[in-house]
Amino acid sequence: MTGMIRRFGGLLGMVAVIAFFAINLPETFLTARNLLNISQQISMLAVVAVTMTVVMVMGDFDLSVGAMASLAGVVAAMLFLQGWSIPAALAVAIGVGLVGGLFNGVMVSLVGILPFVATLATLTVFSGLAFMISDGRTIFGRDIPEAFGEFARGGPVIGSIDERVLVLPNLTLVAIVVAFLVWVVLEQTSYGRRLYAIGGNREAARLAGLPVVWLRLSAFAFTGIGAAMAGLMYASRVASANPTQGDGLMLTAIAAVFLGMTITRDGQPRVLATLAGVVILGVLDNGLTQMRVDSYVREVLVGAIILLAVGLSALSRHGFSLRRR
Amino acid sequence: MKVLDVQRVSRSFGPVHALRDVSLAFRAGEVHALMGENGAGKSTLIKALAGVDRPDAGSLMLDGAPVPWGSPSAVQAAGLRFIHQELHPVRGLSVAENMYLDHSYPTRLGLVNWRTLNEKARAALVRLNLGHIDPRAPMSDLGAGDQMLVRIAATLIHDAGEEAPWLYVMDEPTAALTGEESEHLFSVVDELVKRGAGVLYVSHRMPEVLRLSARVSVLRDGEHISTRPLAETDQARIIHDMTGRDLGGLFPSREKPLDPKAAPVLSVRALRAGPLREASFDLAPGEVLGIGGLSGSGRGALLRAILGDLTREGGEVQLDRKNLARHPADVWSQGIAYVPRERASEGLMLGRSITENIALPHLSRFARGGYFLDPRRQTGAADEKGQRVRLKRASLHQPCAELSGGNQQKVLFARALAGKPRVLLLDEPTRGVDIGARFDLYRIIRSLSEEGIAVLLASSDLLELIGLSDRIAIMQEGRLTGIIDADGLTEGSLLAQFYETVDEDQAA
Repeated sequence: MTGMIRRFGGLLGMVAVIAFFAINLPETFLTARNLLNISQQISMLAVVAVTMTVVMVMGDFDLSVGAMASLAGVVAAMLFLQGWSIPAALAVAIGVGLVGGLFNGVMVSLVGILPFVATLATLTVFSGLAFMISDGRTIFGRDIPEAFGEFARGGPVIGSIDERVLVLPNLTLVAIVVAFLVWVVLEQTSYGRRLYAIGGNREAARLAGLPVVWLRLSAFAFTGIGAAMAGLMYASRVASANPTQGDGLMLTAIAAVFLGMTITRDGQPRVLATLAGVVILGVLDNGLTQMRVDSYVREVLVGAIILLAVGLSALSRHGFSLRRR
Repeated sequence: MKVLDVQRVSRSFGPVHALRDVSLAFRAGEVHALMGENGAGKSTLIKALAGVDRPDAGSLMLDGAPVPWGSPSAVQAAGLRFIHQELHPVRGLSVAENMYLDHSYPTRLGLVNWRTLNEKARAALVRLNLGHIDPRAPMSDLGAGDQMLVRIAATLIHDAGEEAPWLYVMDEPTAALTGEESEHLFSVVDELVKRGAGVLYVSHRMPEVLRLSARVSVLRDGEHISTRPLAETDQARIIHDMTGRDLGGLFPSREKPLDPKAAPVLSVRALRAGPLREASFDLAPGEVLGIGGLSGSGRGALLRAILGDLTREGGEVQLDRKNLARHPADVWSQGIAYVPRERASEGLMLGRSITENIALPHLSRFARGGYFLDPRRQTGAADEKGQRVRLKRASLHQPCAELSGGNQQKVLFARALAGKPRVLLLDEPTRGVDIGARFDLYRIIRSLSEEGIAVLLASSDLLELIGLSDRIAIMQEGRLTGIIDADGLTEGSLLAQFYETVDEDQAA
C-alpha cells in the first residue's frame, strides 16, 4: 500500500501541479500551443537528463554536462565563424562531447577518481576552454548561419488553430528521438542491463565477470554526447552561443533524474521516469513564469518542491528516523 | 566419475602458515564437508580453489589433468561453481537477469529477448524444484534464502560449448538463512547430488554437516587432520579433530557463589521502547542473567533499550540507584558496555586497526587533557585488554578485517572491557564463532562475572543460556514474562518455557 502511494504519489503530484496551473491560467496554460511551447523549452533539459540517467543508473553522475553544453555551442559557433558548413561544425561539436565524456569515463573508471571530484574538475576545464575558444564573447547575429537558427524555430506542421499553424518543434523531435534511443539502450540491450547490474551491486557485477571498468568508462560517452547535443540545441534556439549558456542544465538535469527516481518501483533511475521529472520541472517553470512569479522566487519554489518530492519518497521508504544515527 | 584432487597445497602469509601440505580429493556425486575452526585454513583453501589466491606450493588436478592456480576462468571451465555466504544480489534487477549476470542475454536483432530470458531462467529454477520463484520478480522481493537458491539455479544455465558444472563449493551457505530457508537449500543440495554433482560444504553448523555429508574432512591450524566417511565419525570426534581437545566442560562453572544480599547494580522497571513492551528485573553484581525467548521476542531490543539505542518510551533504568542516561554515548561512560549482534555492521570498523577499534568508545579517557589523543595509552590499553580476551593477532595495528570471526568478537569484548564496565550487555556473543573461540569467550564471560561485573546475555543458543546464566529471563512478544533459575534446566524444559503462557501476576 505504501508502495503504491510512493509510486503514484509523484504522479499525483504532477497531476496536481498541472491542475493548479490549469485553474489559475485558464486562458493560456492547457492550450496546445503552450504545451508544444513547453515541450520545446524542456527539450534540451530532456536530452541532458536522459543521458545523465545512463551514468546515474550505475550510481555515478556527471557534473560537467552544463559546461560541456556551453563548450559544444561555442565550438560550433566558432567553426561557423571560420566558414565551416553546418553539418561539419555540428559533427565536430558532438565529437568534442564524445571525447569529453570518454575523458570523464577514463578519470572515473580507469584512474578511479570519485565521479564527483573528476567531473567537478572537468566542469572547470570545459568551462575554461569555452571561454578560451570564444574569448569570452557571445557569438551571434550574422556569425551564426541562418539555417542553424531556423532549425529550432521550424518543425513539421501538425494542425492549425485560429488560422495559425501548430508546429511540432524540431527540438522536441530531437529530444524524443534521443530519449527513445537511450530507452532502448538501457532497457532492451545487454549493455544497458549490465549498467543496471553495476549500479545495483558493483561487487556482484565484478564477480560475475562483467567488464565493469569498460562499461563505466563507455557510459560516460552518453553524457558527453547528450550534453553537446543539448548545447547545440540551445545555441540553435537562441541563434547565438556564449561560454556560459548551458551551465544551468547540470543541476536541473540531476534534479530531474532524482525526481524521476521517486516514482520508480525500486527507486532506480529510469528513462521514462526521468522524462516525467523533466516534464514536472518544465511545467513548473512555464506555469510560474506565466503567473509572473519572480524568477528568484521560482528557484526557491522549484528547490523546495524537489526536496518535498524526494523527501516524501525517502520517508515512505524508511519512515521517520527518530533514532540518532 | 570426476575427481578434483588438491595435492600438497601450502600457503603462508608472512610467518603464518595458513595451509600446510594439505591434500584432499573431492568427488562427483557426494557432499564432502570441510570443517575447522576459524583460522584453520578453510577460507584460504577455498580462495585457492576459486582462483582468487595463489598457493605457494601444491597442485590441482581434475581427473589427473592439471588445472592452473590463480585463474578463476580456468576453475570455472573445470566445472566448479562457488556459492558464497555473501550473496551479492543485484536487487533492482529481476531474478532472471540476476541468473544471467555472467552470461550473455538471449537477444533478437541485438535487443534483449525477454521471453527467452525468462523461459530459460524458469526452466533452470524448475529443474531444482524451485518453481515457486518467479523469474520476472525483482530480486529485492526475495528473501536471503531464495536469493541463494536463485544463485545456485543460475549455475545450471550455461552457454553453448561450456562444460556443465559438477562441483559446487558452498561456503557457510546457511549463515544468513532462516531454518525454513535452510531446509529448502538442503533439498536443493540433495537434488544436485542426485543429478551427479559433488558439493564441497563448508559450515560450522554440526547438525547440517551430519545431515548432508557423506564424508567429513577437518582442518586445524592449516593442517589436514582427518577425512572420514560420515559412518565412521560423529560429533564428538569431529569436535575433537577440530580443536585438538575434548570439550567436556564447555561451560566453566562458577567458582565463588553470588552474594545473595548484594544490592542490585542494575534495576529495570516497566521499561518500554519500540518492540520492547515491558520488562522489569534486578541484576546483582557478578550475576549472569540470560535472556531467552523465541526469535522476535525482544531479546535484543531489551539490551538496546537499556543502552539507549532504542529510545525509551517509559519505565526507568537505574545503575547503582542512579537513573541511567538516555543516549548510548552517556550510557557507555556510566559503565555499561555493549557487544552488538552484528559484528561487521554494528560493531567493528573492519578496515581500521585493532587498537582503534578497541579505543573507539573510550577516546576521551585515553586523551591528554581530554582532547589530545595519546596513541601510547591507546595501544597500552588495547594490548592489555587484548591479552585479557586471548586475542590471537599478528599486531595491534592489524586491520580487524584480517581477523577470524572469533577474534573479531574478542576485539569487541576487549572494547567493552576497556571502559571498566559494571554491566556487560551481550547480544548473541557467539554467533558465527567457531567452537574454540567460543570456549575462550565462555571463560572470559565467567571470569568477568567472578570479578563482579554483571552480565546480560541475550542468546538464541539454549545450551549457552543454561550453561552460563545464573537466572534466565524469558521474553515473549516483547514482554519479560518471567525469570527462572538456570540450575537443572534442560534445553527442552527451557524451550517449553518460551512457549508457555504466563499469568500476569506470576510475571511480576
